[in-house]
Amino acid sequence: MTRAEWTNLEPVIPISYGSTEIVETGKWGYQKPEDVTFTAPCQEACPAGNPIARFLYQATQKRYEDALLSLLRENPFPGTCGRVCFHPCEGDCNRSHFDEPVSVNALERYVFDVTSRLSPRLDPIDHPNPQPVAVVGGGPCGLSAAYFLTLLGHRVTLFEATKDLGGMMRWGIPDYRLPKGVLRKEITRILALGIEVQRGVRVGKEISFRELENFKAVFLSPGAGLSRSLSLGEAKIHGIWKGLDFLQQIHSGDKVRLGKEIVVLGGGNTALDAARTARRFGSRVVVIYRRTKAEMPAFEEEIQGAEEEGIGFEFLLQPVKMELVGRRRIRLTFQRMKLGRRDQTGRRRAIPVEGSFVTREADGVVVAVGEDIDGSWIPPDLMEKGAIGVDAYLRTNRMPFFAGGDAVDQPRTVVTAIAAGKRGALSIDLYLRGLSPETVFPRIAVGRKGALSLEAYRVGIETGRFPERGEVVLHDRLHSLFFQLSKRIAPRRRRGEDALRGFREVRLGLSRKEAEVSAQRCLSCGTCNYCLNCYFFCPEGVIALDPVGEMKRVDLVHCKGCGTCAQSCPRSAIRMRENV
Amino acid sequence: MRNMEKGPFDPSFQGHAFLRPGHAACAGCGLAIGMRLVLEAMGPRTIAVIVPSCEGAIGGVYPHTAYGVTTIHSAFEIAAPTAAGIAHALKIRGITDVQAVAFAGDGGTFDIGLSALSGVAKNNEDILYVCLDNEAYMNTGIQVSSATPSYAWTGTTPRGNPRRKKNIMEIMAAHYNPYSATATIGFPKDLQRKIEKAKGIRGMKFIHMLVPCPTGWKTASNLSPELSILAVETNIFPLYEVEDGKRYEINHEPRRLPVEAYLLKQGRFRHLTRAEIAAIQQEADEGWERLRLLAGRKGG
Amino acid sequence: MKEFMTGNHAVAHAVRLCRTPFIAAYPITPQTPIYEKLSEWEASGALNGVMMRTESEHSAMAACIAASLTGVRTFTATSSQGIALMHEMLHFAAGCRVPIVLVNVNRLLAAPWGFWADQLDSLSQRDTGWIQFYCENGQEALDTVIQAYRVAEEVYLPTMVSMEAFLVSHFMEVVDLPDQEEVDRFLPAMDLPHKFDVEKPGFYVPVVSPELYRKYKHMAQEAMASVEEVTRRVDREFREAFGRGYGVVEPVMTEDAEVVLVTAGSITSTARLVLKELRSQGKKVGLLKLRLFRPFPRKTVQEALRGKRKIAVIDRNIGLGGGGIFCQELRAALIHSPARPLILSFIAGVGGCDVSPETIERVALEAMKREEAIDDPLWMMEE
Repeated sequence: MTRAEWTNLEPVIPISYGSTEIVETGKWGYQKPEDVTFTAPCQEACPAGNPIARFLYQATQKRYEDALLSLLRENPFPGTCGRVCFHPCEGDCNRSHFDEPVSVNALERYVFDVTSRLSPRLDPIDHPNPQPVAVVGGGPCGLSAAYFLTLLGHRVTLFEATKDLGGMMRWGIPDYRLPKGVLRKEITRILALGIEVQRGVRVGKEISFRELENFKAVFLSPGAGLSRSLSLGEAKIHGIWKGLDFLQQIHSGDKVRLGKEIVVLGGGNTALDAARTARRFGSRVVVIYRRTKAEMPAFEEEIQGAEEEGIGFEFLLQPVKMELVGRRRIRLTFQRMKLGRRDQTGRRRAIPVEGSFVTREADGVVVAVGEDIDGSWIPPDLMEKGAIGVDAYLRTNRMPFFAGGDAVDQPRTVVTAIAAGKRGALSIDLYLRGLSPETVFPRIAVGRKGALSLEAYRVGIETGRFPERGEVVLHDRLHSLFFQLSKRIAPRRRRGEDALRGFREVRLGLSRKEAEVSAQRCLSCGTCNYCLNCYFFCPEGVIALDPVGEMKRVDLVHCKGCGTCAQSCPRSAIRMRENV
Repeated sequence: MRNMEKGPFDPSFQGHAFLRPGHAACAGCGLAIGMRLVLEAMGPRTIAVIVPSCEGAIGGVYPHTAYGVTTIHSAFEIAAPTAAGIAHALKIRGITDVQAVAFAGDGGTFDIGLSALSGVAKNNEDILYVCLDNEAYMNTGIQVSSATPSYAWTGTTPRGNPRRKKNIMEIMAAHYNPYSATATIGFPKDLQRKIEKAKGIRGMKFIHMLVPCPTGWKTASNLSPELSILAVETNIFPLYEVEDGKRYEINHEPRRLPVEAYLLKQGRFRHLTRAEIAAIQQEADEGWERLRLLAGRKGG
Repeated sequence: MKEFMTGNHAVAHAVRLCRTPFIAAYPITPQTPIYEKLSEWEASGALNGVMMRTESEHSAMAACIAASLTGVRTFTATSSQGIALMHEMLHFAAGCRVPIVLVNVNRLLAAPWGFWADQLDSLSQRDTGWIQFYCENGQEALDTVIQAYRVAEEVYLPTMVSMEAFLVSHFMEVVDLPDQEEVDRFLPAMDLPHKFDVEKPGFYVPVVSPELYRKYKHMAQEAMASVEEVTRRVDREFREAFGRGYGVVEPVMTEDAEVVLVTAGSITSTARLVLKELRSQGKKVGLLKLRLFRPFPRKTVQEALRGKRKIAVIDRNIGLGGGGIFCQELRAALIHSPARPLILSFIAGVGGCDVSPETIERVALEAMKREEAIDDPLWMMEE
């Protein structure tokens, strides 16, 4: 008998060839799984609403151009933020409850760095009725507003008072923190969308405030560029600089003659930037602050860097007198201070100690005790306590004027400025469409801390339906047993003498291997990242996943509703729902 | 966008070709997960032996079966020699790319099948033997086996099991077979790596796999993978490999969670007193210390 | 080629000549010489096969079933406690329809203990679905093993060949060993239509419904029912090829017999002598040797004993509460016989007791004397 004949014979013993799929075990259960998306706390913490889980997922897949695009849709400055942001995302990272936070900041920088030769396409909305909008101020806030307004389909004209765009990013932050090449690349990408820029144009000088009313909407983001004075007659003394002016002069390449001993007065980032800049010219530098280290508003990392670079710190000293002695020496007199009760920022006040004084001499002094807004060209009805007054949607008292950034009363960091630019652009777009931000903003919020999603807004405007906003998922909702604990890779830094050699970047980025490992540490809280747990653990085998096409299917005809997938999803991206 | 939808199932996902949906396991069955992971790693060139047990129930009633590979439903205690007979016959017929794998439960391995298993191990027959251990005779309705842990409730030990769980890995080590390993469903990649490794070894390979059973352990149906991870992280079921009965290698550094984290999620341990929990903790700690010592001794 | 050897060794030769590549077994007195001989040949290469030395007979049968279902010819041998331990798997083998050949050396079953000839061990397995042959001597055992493979591989039922402990297993006689080429011509390569096929994965012997179980049992019964005819044919072909044949039963001087003795196994040889003696005394006694026991060859037996009035069955076994097993089967086969013969049951040789010519003569005389039917067996014990 041939093999074919044999295999077609009815066998003398029972052999089952059919599949049990004929049995619809889906009827057994009273619940079925469904996809659910929560918001990760890092995304809520990021003022700009960076889609962190998304871009990190794309990074784990080595789809770096996609990762860049994900970031660019919500934030035009990933390269800058990846270097200078104070990363509140890491502060809220759920992983810190299990081991150590994910290196979001270093990875944002890595994505920018590896895609530096690429120019992904950003498609502006095809607006039915685009309007001319003006933006005053080409710093992080103004550039972001211009960027997002253009993406929303409008025609933007940007007025910048100085000869170069960038604001604090260019004039305030030194090269060793933010290389100018990075900034240039980011600004070029923004301008490539088609924004008209007028450099060297100051409102109130080259154009009048009234001319701004020719635009259908105006976003004021002039920043806070006036260095505060101590009112000790320092303007008259040669060798005393104001913080921002000092940095601006250095960064514009002007020759600055520093002496051997420099004193920097202040405790914020500007003071630290000035100190570390002066140090790189070879001076001995001391930073003197009227409270203690604990109250210093500067970033922890900057303080640590300064200490490693041999910069001295002295605390609880308030300058009360400055005078020139000899031809170039400056004598400063300080009153000793002590800490009192806490002020409204939660920091302890500085109280003078009666009759206790101390002097010292220096070759140069930098006064970096804060910045004020130059309101000289702004109509007084728009001002409120020295800043431009705005409501929660960045509307001023006079429509169609909007404002944001350091010029309004908000925290002064690059990322909050970017967030304000986005908020302003969305507010303006809604205003121009005749829609109310009160009803729309909650639909596009990322968490409850103020971040907004431009992508959600686009989907809502284009389809008429806003995507569901998930609640924030905290660490106790994660199924942490499914994670492998690991320490995060600390990015390397130049230290001490090595850091001081010129203005090279102090923080070194992650290597390729380090970036791969770091990206994989993201728990992707609340969002499926195709870890395949549900696929592995389904006893019925009814879940199919396609990580590349990002598709997931459940065969409901056979799903018994045991709930293992939901319970085994480390990031709570599956929940069980009772059958209807 | 992700979507979840009804519809005919896509057969292109490999795992489902090996254990088809529609089988009769309880909802949340850890054994079904374990079998699928093993068969997926074994591949289609496999002849599997299954025995009367939950595997039999999953196998299905004629003419439908959940198994996607050639399978024989042998008698209870003889999974090992059945697989060995198949392995010999394949070799005699000159078929070198098909492997025999025996699946048995803890009953069929620790108790009624122990003698047959030992006979096959001492001969170093060329089979892979997988013990799917759910720690009692579950198919017949939850009766105690010698794999049932201390103090656990079963239908035949209603006041709690007065005896300890047998150490089957030590029994196997005493046979000096080339490869034995513990594995569990909560660590699927580790499990599949071990199956892949076993496939490349000629001789008797033994896998002791812990598979939680919601029905017999009296837990919710969604906890099987989580419980198996807890068993490892509490040192109740460490993950390790043994080669030639003397070289031990530990595969996972446990978090050393207290045994309560594992025990109190299960109804079969709900009646435990403080003293009993402490006794179980001691068992786990001693077992781990002993294993560390064995693993530290290179070459036996 | 003629050689002087024991029954055990004759069987071992048969296994080798049949080119059986897989043997799984466990030693038990008095089977051990078979096991040892095959092991010796495995080591030297003369066997050209594999011995799987299992840890019990139960596992041995499991391995044989599995190997057979994978498509190779298999063999095992055992006795007494061993075949009793195999019992579960004997049913399983028949249910799997695999052509395993098993040689059972009939030895008494404990308790109490002993090692001597008694046929209860294999007869206890009569309902397991195995074909059963009983052999009178070593030559017949050798020849029957070869025939058994032919029969088994035609009908797909496992086959048991029994010979008595020591009386046949260890008894040395002249045995005619067939040539390998002759055996190859008689016995083609084994193949199984329902063997495992990884190209077409199926679940073999699953749980079935009551109707389906009945269907497969019915199919097996039909196969078993054909064995009487198949054995007759195979034995005829064997006779043509090797010059020796045994039939399904062997009638000796039954044509005019008033009393027919019915025996199986080595008692037959002794009975042949007694027959000669009784005939010389003018007593019309005949003899029917039963060779095939399962299926019970009803047609052949009915024909061989047609019209016979008195039948005396000698059983070297006792099924407690039932009687001698060969006698029970014979009575059932002849229940519709119009001659309404008197079938007497004699128990002789249980526990390995010697069945001397005197004993058999007394059986014959007793049978000739009796005219009344009696259900209970008559025990032939020495006075």
